[in-house]
Amino acid sequence: MDLRVPSGSFFTLIGLILLGMGAFAPHVGAAPLTTENVNLYSGAAMLVFGLFLLLMAWRATRLEKGSNS
Amino acid sequence: MHPHRVDYIILALYFAFVLGIGWRLRKRISSSGDFLTSGRSVPVWITSLAFIAANLGAVELVGMAGSGAKYGIMTAHFYWLGAIPAMLFMGIFMMPFYYGSKARSVPEYLKMRFDEKTRAFNAFSFAIMTIFSSGISMYALGILLQSVLGWSFDVSVLASAAIVLAYTFLGGLTSAIYNEVLQFFLIVMGFAPLAIVSVIKAGGWQGIVSRLPPKMTHAWSYMGSPTDNPMGVGIFSMVAGLGFVLSFGYWCTNFLVVQRAMAADSMSAARRTPLIGTLPKMFLPFIVILPGIAALALSKMSVGYAFPLKATGGPDYDKVLTTLMAQFYPAGLLGVGLTGLMASFMSGMAGNVTAFNTVFTYDIYQSYIRPGAPDRHYLTVGRVTTVVGVLLSIGAAYLATRFNNIMDFLQLVFGVVNAPLFATFLLGMFWKRTTAHGAFAGLTLGTLAAILTLSTTVAEGNGGWIAHLHTFQSQMAQNFWIAIIAFTTNFVITIVVSTFTTPRTDQDMEGLVYGLTKVPHDATAKWYERPAPLTVMVVILLLILNIWFR
Repeated sequence: MDLRVPSGSFFTLIGLILLGMGAFAPHVGAAPLTTENVNLYSGAAMLVFGLFLLLMAWRATRLEKGSNS
Repeated sequence: MHPHRVDYIILALYFAFVLGIGWRLRKRISSSGDFLTSGRSVPVWITSLAFIAANLGAVELVGMAGSGAKYGIMTAHFYWLGAIPAMLFMGIFMMPFYYGSKARSVPEYLKMRFDEKTRAFNAFSFAIMTIFSSGISMYALGILLQSVLGWSFDVSVLASAAIVLAYTFLGGLTSAIYNEVLQFFLIVMGFAPLAIVSVIKAGGWQGIVSRLPPKMTHAWSYMGSPTDNPMGVGIFSMVAGLGFVLSFGYWCTNFLVVQRAMAADSMSAARRTPLIGTLPKMFLPFIVILPGIAALALSKMSVGYAFPLKATGGPDYDKVLTTLMAQFYPAGLLGVGLTGLMASFMSGMAGNVTAFNTVFTYDIYQSYIRPGAPDRHYLTVGRVTTVVGVLLSIGAAYLATRFNNIMDFLQLVFGVVNAPLFATFLLGMFWKRTTAHGAFAGLTLGTLAAILTLSTTVAEGNGGWIAHLHTFQSQMAQNFWIAIIAFTTNFVITIVVSTFTTPRTDQDMEGLVYGLTKVPHDATAKWYERPAPLTVMVVILLLILNIWFR
């Protein structure tokens, strides 16, 4: 098992959830001291990180296939 | 703190992934080696992150934020002065002996290098310590979730223990290590936003500096005298006690972390595990300590952040992290933060459980109870020990609920047991004249010296049960001095007894001692795969950080 696949999928999912919260429900459970839309920014960062891990895993399997054939 | 539905969804999603990883890895287990030592097959980037995640339990996470508020940036010495030099030493100098000896555990290395009695001493004390420390962290997590979220103590303790048990039972050490990496990512992702928003709110680093006394924002400048700095320690006890004895003792000899490096797929990867680990480790203070310092600054501004107080009125440092989360995290991110807290707890507990089952199976059961059985038998014993280890930890957690002071007491005991250990390894690995009797005498008398120091000195009301010879400025200073005295006693006694007893022959010690072990030279490897350039880079970064925050 390539650990990058489950980790990447996990952060992609969490990133999408936070982006969704930030975009469509910015006032649900708002924090007393935060004025910025932190869900939006953090969600975007987690989505990018998740996709990056998935991309690296995908590249590794492609390289492996290339060297086998 | 009031989590929303979305926060619980994130937590549930995480549990599903953790269990899924364990389930997928279950097929890789066909021998006791696969289960207990990962069959030495884990890629280096994974072992490096697991190496630092296994140490990053919930108690540490909550404690570091609290210490940030209590001691300021000096807390970073646990990383910049303590952990990182020790991790470098471990990778460059000690790993060749651990990995090259083919020992399956740290006590087993002691058996190979010295003899049965030194192994037994280390195996039993380590096994007992891992059970109690995972029990204590379970207790701390239960209390925290009860007071912050109103969750039931029983449910949070039993549910989190059940999940850790499930994935370590299914996939063994590999599963624990793989999950530690996911947990590490989650801790960073869950707490980095907190550091960023809390520091921005406090006016950036400059804003923090302007609101706090200078001794809170300087790591080195106020260390001339113990009375000048918030930790109450002088520069000698800091450098020798924390920087040398305690940190090297922990990072170089504690099987909990060493086991992660020993699971790497080659000698080169095993050596690079702690070296690569230093890079993320170096920047962790910005995520785990900085929010605590920001909290203190925020409490002096009129932004609406009140510093958490105990019922008795004093500051409650253990609540710093969770009050910040409550104030700064909206629904969604709050779920990620809470999940990060649970993840840190699980990584710490899984680390303890997987180290415990290996030491018990190989160093206690196979050595003293039933040697020479087929491997299948030891795989079963490893699995059963995993269950027993978790049950014993739960027992220890409930013991802590009944005897409140037991936590403080045990932490003192751990300090006493750990303090002299490094001298034994240092001499054993680098002086081939060291004998088994010398090592054992040094270790026993070193431990005794630690107990005596604790029983004759007092700090913040602790210790001094036999006599009251000296009072320390703080408990931290007392810990550092106990370590220094225990180490020195062990070091001297081991040398003296060794010179009067017969050493083993050189052939007997091949692969175990410096000078009789081939240390691999990877001249053909790329520069970033060689230990030396990596170390130089880490040292330069470390110097920059220390000078910047001097």
